[in-house]
Amino acid sequence: MAQESYSAGCYEAMISTQLLISGVIFGLSIGSIYFLLAIGLSLCFGLMRIISLDQLLYYSLGAYITYSINLASGSMWLGVLAGTAFAGLASFAVERLIFRRIYSREPTFSMITSFGILIGGIGIIKYFWGVVPRPVEVPTLLQVTIFGTEVPVYRLIVVAIAAVVYVGIWLFLHRTIVGKAIRAAIEDVEHVEGLGINVSRLFTITFIIAGALSGLAGGLHAPLIMVDPSMGLETLAFVFMVVIIGGLGSIKGTLISALIIGQVVSLGSIIYAPMAQMAPFVIMLLVLLIKPTGLYGSTVLKR
Amino acid sequence: MSREILSVRGLNAAYGEAKVLFDIDMSVATGQIVACVGRNGAGKTTLLKSIAGFLKPTSGSVIADNTPLTGKKSYDIAKFGIKYIPQDKKVFFDLTVRENLELGSYATKDYNWDRVLGFFPKLQLLMGRKAGYLSGGERQMLMIARAILGSPKVLLIDEPTEGLAPGIVTQLRETFRELARSTALVIVEQNLPLVCAIADKVYAVRDGRIVAELVGPEEISVAACERYL
Repeated sequence: MAQESYSAGCYEAMISTQLLISGVIFGLSIGSIYFLLAIGLSLCFGLMRIISLDQLLYYSLGAYITYSINLASGSMWLGVLAGTAFAGLASFAVERLIFRRIYSREPTFSMITSFGILIGGIGIIKYFWGVVPRPVEVPTLLQVTIFGTEVPVYRLIVVAIAAVVYVGIWLFLHRTIVGKAIRAAIEDVEHVEGLGINVSRLFTITFIIAGALSGLAGGLHAPLIMVDPSMGLETLAFVFMVVIIGGLGSIKGTLISALIIGQVVSLGSIIYAPMAQMAPFVIMLLVLLIKPTGLYGSTVLKR
Repeated sequence: MSREILSVRGLNAAYGEAKVLFDIDMSVATGQIVACVGRNGAGKTTLLKSIAGFLKPTSGSVIADNTPLTGKKSYDIAKFGIKYIPQDKKVFFDLTVRENLELGSYATKDYNWDRVLGFFPKLQLLMGRKAGYLSGGERQMLMIARAILGSPKVLLIDEPTEGLAPGIVTQLRETFRELARSTALVIVEQNLPLVCAIADKVYAVRDGRIVAELVGPEEISVAACERYL
């Protein structure tokens, strides 16, 4: 009897350890998606002082292009590449046609405009792909064992891609002259122009990078969810929280914040499901109370 | 033989409905140091910003080296060689001294830092330091160093000695004299002894108008300038 009870205890402990490990991996992968999506929003606000909610449209477009290319070619990775490129192109078009005309307006104006673009874009998605949620096949069903827990390799690939993107963005911003100009312009646009640098070109480059990364996020997320027209809207609140907690314009802050929110959502749903929705808001509130600029937000931002 | 490098004619500027500059005429020759003096709020900074393209003039013209610049974007004007150094000693805090200079080089394609560091050798020792950690004097040096990359035609410098230690002011005075050999300087300055020591011409600005023009050591004196403060 005692031995049976001991075995049951061990089994429960093993189950909870497995739950915890798979929860952490799930949190890392969802945090990685949030990071890829939030980085564009953060850079756009940091540099152009615009609240670019249309990034969520590029995220949806990335997912839908991944779905269609995967269906046509059988290669999800080709779909992700195409989705990333298409999202970058779409963001370039939107920047040229719309945002270029409203950079000098208040951020709230850009928020309303970008929300309009998002809603309009969702309408276009519904026109082309319909309203029925679409599944995207996971490119690999392989699993690896980590501390006795089977973990899907695809989720680890997502984490690895986000890590590569982080390093790539860091190198771009710190090792290239255009990246340094973007960092300087995040501090003060006027002074960068005063040196003779065409800031509007920096805006375009940043917007394309932001849109492409949002598309990449959508493409990578597609096999983990059902692709549907309102997927951008469903992610909106979390991405917003990631940007605010991390600090506007900070890549490092966005990464840390995305990982925190990913874990809170994932582990929160294991501990007590409603907590997954509520806890990120509590964290955001606490961060804003203690550090209103966010974890790594600069206090010298100026337009 | 000096020639006119910057000419401002009938310049008017406004912030929204509030008119700030009224029919400003100004002339700067190569190798000249021109100072603008006047009370706070007289319109001196607005004048520099209007020339540099940060504020679009409502009327009038700005011509540099026979090229009309009125209405051009600030980065085009800077690229042309009219550089504005604002009074807030604003360097890019998160970037190192080296990165700040690199941005100056990127815009002008002038990667020869020897001349620049010749003016400010101290910057050589601070290359890896984030600009946000520099002292006020070091920031001013960095701003000037960044701006003189590409050998600009005219430097517009707003209150360069404000809040700086006397030793730094003396150093800057010598630097301005050196710079004037290749670049015309327009300096907004409240430090009248400095103005009198370096300026070839002084414009007195009051209520958005130029009310006096003093030329040469016979006319430029602290007492003469003080009348307009």
